[in-house]
Amino acid sequence: MMRALRFTIATAFLIAVPWIVAATVPGQQRYVLHVLIFTALYGALALSYDLVVGHVGSLSLAHPAFFGIGAYTAALLATEARWPFAAALPAGIAMAGLVALAVGVPMFRLTEHSFAMGTLGFALVAQIVATNWVDFTRGPLCVTGIPKPQLGSLRIATLPGFYWTGLAAVGLVGLLYHGLTTFRLGRAFHAVRDNETLASAASIDPLKYRMLAFVIGGAVAGGVGTLYVSYVGVLCPGELAVSLSVNLLVMLFLGGVGSLRGVLVGSVAFTALPEILRMAPTWRMVIYGLLLLIIVIRAPDGFEGVIRRRSRA
Amino acid sequence: MSDLLEQLLHGLTLGSLYAMVATGLALMFGVVRLINFAHGEFYMLGGYAFWYAYAELGLPYPVAGLAAAAAMGVFGLAYERGVIRTILARTWHVQLIATLATSITLTNLAILVFGTQPKEVPTTLSSTIVDLGGVRMAWQRPLVLVAAVIIFAGLEWFVTRAKLGKAMRAMSQNREACAVVGVDVQRVALATFGLSAALAGGAAALVSPLFNIFPDVGALLTLKAFAAVIVGGFGYVKGAIAAAFLIGLAESLAAGYVSYAYKDAIAFVFMVAVLLVRPQGLFGRRIGI
Amino acid sequence: MALLEVRGLTKRFLGITAVDAVDVSIEAGELVSLIGPNGSGKTTLFNCVTGYMAPDTGRVLFHGRDVTGVAAHRIARLGVGRTFQLVSVFPRLSALENLLTFLQQHQEESVLARLVRAPRVRRYEAAAVERARMLLDSVGLGARADAPAGSLSYGQRKLLAFAAALMPDPGLVLLDEPAAAVNPTMINQMKEQILGLHGQGKTVLLVEHNMDVVMDISERVIVLDHGQKIAEGSPEAVRRDPKVIEAYFGR
Repeated sequence: MMRALRFTIATAFLIAVPWIVAATVPGQQRYVLHVLIFTALYGALALSYDLVVGHVGSLSLAHPAFFGIGAYTAALLATEARWPFAAALPAGIAMAGLVALAVGVPMFRLTEHSFAMGTLGFALVAQIVATNWVDFTRGPLCVTGIPKPQLGSLRIATLPGFYWTGLAAVGLVGLLYHGLTTFRLGRAFHAVRDNETLASAASIDPLKYRMLAFVIGGAVAGGVGTLYVSYVGVLCPGELAVSLSVNLLVMLFLGGVGSLRGVLVGSVAFTALPEILRMAPTWRMVIYGLLLLIIVIRAPDGFEGVIRRRSRA
Repeated sequence: MSDLLEQLLHGLTLGSLYAMVATGLALMFGVVRLINFAHGEFYMLGGYAFWYAYAELGLPYPVAGLAAAAAMGVFGLAYERGVIRTILARTWHVQLIATLATSITLTNLAILVFGTQPKEVPTTLSSTIVDLGGVRMAWQRPLVLVAAVIIFAGLEWFVTRAKLGKAMRAMSQNREACAVVGVDVQRVALATFGLSAALAGGAAALVSPLFNIFPDVGALLTLKAFAAVIVGGFGYVKGAIAAAFLIGLAESLAAGYVSYAYKDAIAFVFMVAVLLVRPQGLFGRRIGI
Repeated sequence: MALLEVRGLTKRFLGITAVDAVDVSIEAGELVSLIGPNGSGKTTLFNCVTGYMAPDTGRVLFHGRDVTGVAAHRIARLGVGRTFQLVSVFPRLSALENLLTFLQQHQEESVLARLVRAPRVRRYEAAAVERARMLLDSVGLGARADAPAGSLSYGQRKLLAFAAALMPDPGLVLLDEPAAAVNPTMINQMKEQILGLHGQGKTVLLVEHNMDVVMDISERVIVLDHGQKIAEGSPEAVRRDPKVIEAYFGR
C-alpha cells in the first residue's frame, strides 16, 4: 500500500517537473530540461545495456553500434524516405534487433575475453562503416534535418514534450527490464551469469538466454537511438564511438550493476556530473576513465553496494 | 608486379608492427592470464617518447629508439605495480573494465598533453625513397622487418636460456607449480609487463617514422594485436606472431586491391572467420608461451 | 535395452588420450561405481556422457537414443542429473531457490499463462516449492532453506547440489566424488542418500575414490586406468583383480 502510494507520488512529481522547473529556475529552464532529457535517454540506454552486462554477465562492447544502427535507420528513413516517426521508431528497433541477432550468433561462440574483443571489433567496424560509407550515411558530413516526431496530430517539438517522451521511454524500458529480470526468466538469466556449467545441468540453455538478453538489449538501444536523433535533429558517426561503452560502464558500476534503481541512479549521477564539473570533454573523459578504474577496483557494487552494506550494518 | 611487391612489403612492415605488439599481449596473457586492454597505449606513449627523444631532444636515431623502449619498460613496471597488481586476483570482467578505463584515461591525457595533431618523425631512412627494380620503398621498411626478426630471436633465446625468461615460460605453463617450487611469481609478472611495454615502445620507435603518432592510434592497434593473439591460439607467442603477419599482409592487400577505407575492418573479419571455423585458433590451443 | 550405453568412447586433448575406447553398459536401477587412479579419465568420461564435452569417437546412448555430442542442457532435460567434482551451487540464491531453478525448465506452461498467473501456474509453483522443501528436509537442510547458498558450509553445499540434481526427478543420476572432502558423518549420510536413490529405483553411476564407500554400496564396479577400462565386476572381484591392484599400487 505504502509502496504504491510512494510510487504514485514519485510519478506525479516526475510528470510535473517541467512546471516545477519553470517555477523554480525560470532563466535556466531550457538548459535544465535539456539535461533531464539526456538523462532519461541515457537511463533507458543504460538499462538496456545492464540486461546484457548485469543480468546475463556478458561483457559486450557492441552497444554503441546498436544505438547507432537504430539512430541511422530512423534518421535515413525519415530524411530520405519521409517515413513518419511512428514507422521509423519500430524500424529502428527492429533493425538494431536483427543486427544483434546476426552478430550474436558468431559472437557467443567466443568465450569471455574473445567475446568482449569481438564485440568491440564489431563496434569499431560499425563506426568505420558509418564514417566511410558516405554515399549512404553522409559520413562525417552527418545526416541533418531529421524531423521532430509527429504522431497523428500530436507534434513533439517542445522541450517539455521531449521530456515527457523521454520519461515515458525510461518508464517503459524500466518496466520491460523489471519483467525480464524477475520471476523465472530472471532466474534463468542469473543462473547463466553466476554458474553457466550448473545452469546447463539445470536444463537451462546458456546460449538461448544470452542471445535473448543481447537481442532485446540491442533492440532497445536502437529504439533509444531513434528517440535521440528525433530530439537532436542531427546524426554524425561520432555518436557510435567506443567511449559510449565506457560512459555506460561508468553508469552501471557507479550505480550498481544488475539493479534497476542502481543503474538509474548511476545514469542520473553520470549526466549530472559534467554539469557540476563543467569542464572540457577531454578532461571529462580522463575523469571518467579514472573514476571507472577506481570504482571497479574499490567499489564494484557501486551505489547499491554501499546501500546494502549500510542496511546490513 | 612492382605494385604487388610494394603492397607485400607494406604488409610485412605492418605485420612486424602487429607482431611486436601482439607478442607483448600474448606474453602478458600467457604469464598472468590477463588481457591488457591498454596495450595499444604502450605503443602510443612509446611513439611520443620516441618523438620527444628524437625530434625534441635531437638524440641520434638508435639512441632515441632505445630510450623510448626503456622509457616504456619503466612505464610498464609502474603500470604493473600500480594497476595490474590490484586486479590480478579479480574476475576477468573487473580486469577488462579496469584496463579499458586505463586506456581511455591515457588516450585522453595524451590529447591534453600533445594535442590531436599527429606528430611526424621522419628519419633519413624513412624519408628517402629508393627504387629497386621498379619497387619504390624506404629503407626503414626492411629495417623494421629485420629488427623484428632480431627481437623475436632474442625473445626465443630469452625464454629458453635466461633464468627470468625460463621462469616466464614455466609460469605460463603451470603457475601453481611455480609458486610451490619457489619462483618469485610477483617478480616474474612485473618483468613480463616491463618487457611487453618495452617491446611496444621499441615497435613505436621503428614504425613511427613511417606512420604518424597520434593519441587514438592505440585503440585499433589493441584490437588487431588481440585478433592476432586469438587467431594464434591464446597465449602462444609464436602463433600470435604468425597470425600478426597474416593480418598485416591481408590488410595491406585489401587496402591496395579492395578498399582503402575499410582496411581496418580486415583484422576483425579475419579473426571472426577463423574463430567460426576453428575456435581453438589456427594452431590449436597450446599451453605456455 | 540398457539405460545408459557408452560404446568405444575416445577423447583426446593436448596430445593426451584421456579416455581410450571405453565401453560401458548400465541397466536401469543399477548402482555402479567408476573408480581408478587420478587422471584415469573418470571425470572426462562423465563430461562426455553428460554433454559437457564431445567425444572424438564413440557413441553415447541414453534409453537407446543416440545423444553423442548433444549439448549439456538438453541431456539434462532428458532426465539425467549430475553433481560436479568441485561443488557447484548458485551462491547468490537461497537454498530453496537453487532447487527451484532446477525445476523451472520442466514446467511447461506458456508465457501468457505465466504472465496472468493463471491458477494452474500458481499450483505448479506451489507444488515446486513443496517438492523443494521436501528434498531439503531429506538431506537435512530444511532449516536453511532461505539461507543464501554461498553462506553454507562445504558439506552443506554438497548436500544442496545433491538435492538440486534430484529436483527434476531424473532417472539417471551421476555423482562426481560425492564422498570427497567431507567428514565421516557426512560420508555416512551420503551413503544413505545414495542407497535411498537406489531404493527408489533410480539408476546411479558414481565416480569415487573412497574405497570403503565403493565397496559398501556398489552393485558393480568399473575400473579405469590411463583412460582404458581395465576391469569390471562385483566389488569383491574387482578388489582382488591383479590388474586393478597394479594400477593403484604397482607403480
